[in-house]
Amino acid sequence: MGIQRWEIRPLEVWAKAKEMRAKWQQSIDDAEKEHVLLAQGNCNWAVGFPALRVIEDNPVGAMMGYRSSQFSRECRAAGEILGWGREICGYQLNCWGAMYLGYQMDGSKFPMRDMVVPFPDPCDQHTKRGQAPMDYSNIPRWQGDSPLYTGPHDPERDATMIENKVGTTLDIIADIERIYGQIFDDEKFIESINLAHRVREYAAEVCLSMQHIPAPLSQKDLYSFYTLGGLTKTDPEETVELWRMLRDEVKWRVDNNIAAVGTERYRWIEAHPPPWYFLRYYRYMEKYGAICIGSQYSHMMGGPFEFKEDGSWGPRVPLNSWGERPIKTREDALRAMFGDDARGHNFKVDEVIRPYAICEFAKAYKADGAIMPLWRGGVGCTVTRKEQGLRLSEIGVRVLHYEGSQPGDRTDQDETRLLDMLDVWMESQGLRKLED
Amino acid sequence: MITAGIDVGIENIKVVVLRDGTVIASGTARSGGAGRGKAIEQTWTDTLKAAGISATDITKVVATGQGKGDVPFANDSITEPLADARVALFLYPAARSVVDVGADQIRVVSLDEHGAITEVVLNQKCAAGIGTFLRTVARRLGYTLDEMSRIGGSSDNRVVVNDACCVFAELDAINLLHDGVAWQDIARAIHRAMAVRINSVLSDKVRPAKDTTVLIGGVARNPTLIAALEERSGINFMIPDQPEFAGALGAALDAAA
Repeated sequence: MGIQRWEIRPLEVWAKAKEMRAKWQQSIDDAEKEHVLLAQGNCNWAVGFPALRVIEDNPVGAMMGYRSSQFSRECRAAGEILGWGREICGYQLNCWGAMYLGYQMDGSKFPMRDMVVPFPDPCDQHTKRGQAPMDYSNIPRWQGDSPLYTGPHDPERDATMIENKVGTTLDIIADIERIYGQIFDDEKFIESINLAHRVREYAAEVCLSMQHIPAPLSQKDLYSFYTLGGLTKTDPEETVELWRMLRDEVKWRVDNNIAAVGTERYRWIEAHPPPWYFLRYYRYMEKYGAICIGSQYSHMMGGPFEFKEDGSWGPRVPLNSWGERPIKTREDALRAMFGDDARGHNFKVDEVIRPYAICEFAKAYKADGAIMPLWRGGVGCTVTRKEQGLRLSEIGVRVLHYEGSQPGDRTDQDETRLLDMLDVWMESQGLRKLED
Repeated sequence: MITAGIDVGIENIKVVVLRDGTVIASGTARSGGAGRGKAIEQTWTDTLKAAGISATDITKVVATGQGKGDVPFANDSITEPLADARVALFLYPAARSVVDVGADQIRVVSLDEHGAITEVVLNQKCAAGIGTFLRTVARRLGYTLDEMSRIGGSSDNRVVVNDACCVFAELDAINLLHDGVAWQDIARAIHRAMAVRINSVLSDKVRPAKDTTVLIGGVARNPTLIAALEERSGINFMIPDQPEFAGALGAALDAAA
């Protein structure tokens, strides 16, 4: 029997994404020259300050791992010399090391941070990211809680946790206004939150399109786009426009069966990418007609998702429902930013939910298999990974675990062994390479 | 029909020639390190000679093992779990799991009632629990593998060495020697440590059944290890006469399929 072959075509919106990403990098590099403060962290409210930009260790650390193994190794060595261990997340050790070295990958001066804003996260490493910049250059640091609980879903508890986050953030904004003399623009912040919701709606549609066979995008596409508006804070209106363009193009691709992998016959999900320098692993899997249709991580921009009563998979907060709760104040905007549920709102939050949530994800996207790396570094990444594997196996999704350091760190990556394992995994499921 | 399978492992090359489902010749040699290409060629030539046939008599050759890509005369190659499954079902039709412990890998292959592979588990990248670990410690103690197995089998003492790390286990063995612990007790402890590690792979996903599990690979020639592993895992393994040739036989069977 012949093999089904779908038409493949590069993404047209790609050029716009690259342009925006370059512009963002330039805005960071120019911050000092333009007398704009640079904050280490990841928050949507920074847009309310007239002269404040935020930068996070991801995707910068990931980009360093992808573009220059030598430079990222030098950076990690610089961190290790100062006593940081190899269990530290590769992303942040890359960035900390560049800070210690004093220069970036292209040799330009490292943009020193002026403050650290909180990035509370269940991952111990994310929460720790501001520590080294604070210690190194004696800058102020704010920190917030990342509350968790176990047991049944409790909306009352969720509400209390959300209010805790809102209250903490209001205090931080007031502190920054007082210390730096910048006036927070509520109107601009509120507008940005409304725009962010439109991004979420477009992103949700893009994520849902990955249910289609053939999948219209690859995992590499998803990772690339979710940084724009997710990890890198680009112009809010331009970000909405980018995601609208992407949504429109993806919709067209679905309608016309334009595939990311022309020979798609096997769909897998992953927990994380491999170390970024090793993206050819996706190409290698394509030889088997296998496509990675995403991860909970790369679908984060459109989430959270859930199965509805009619069996469909969709966003927990219905699309186009935003106008039902108008945002009038700073508090309203912060509440909207943090979401409705403290628990289960984000796949990373709950160790109890994680193994079951990934099963729902696998079912929703018709996954045949799951590749679940076990990292030695960035400890929070790998929490429950084996349990996730067991639960996936129980629902008939074949699981491959492999070991490494962390996506930002290639130290423990064994390319030969991983490719051998992929062959074993594919052949044991009855698939042989279509080409070589 | 004559087919052949060649299993190119990290330590050894194994060749099996099959005529209508019956083994007519087999051969093995050390993998030869950097000279692996020559070693493959020599083992192949010697085995054909022993079978009294020439290469043109063979309908199909299938390679397997870590070095399967280094066999220029092979018509095809298959990954190791496929070879494991083929041979297990050929020798023991009731088999539901195969455990293959070789020089560099521990593999557990689960099979359904139709013989299809339902799961494959590989060991994590670590020397503890693999054949190379045994060889390393035996060398350190000044024994061959067979000697260490035989000596270990004569002990009923239960001293312990580290079962999480090959290097620590080796150091433990040396320290025990310095403490005056008997050679045979240390040898037994080494085998038990290895059994612990193999058992951890058996427990990873699908626990192999007590009476339908086949044990193959070079390590399955070691009676002291088998005893330790059966005690630890509670499994009564089915073990072929020449477990080190199982991969090559599986490849030959695949060639005949």
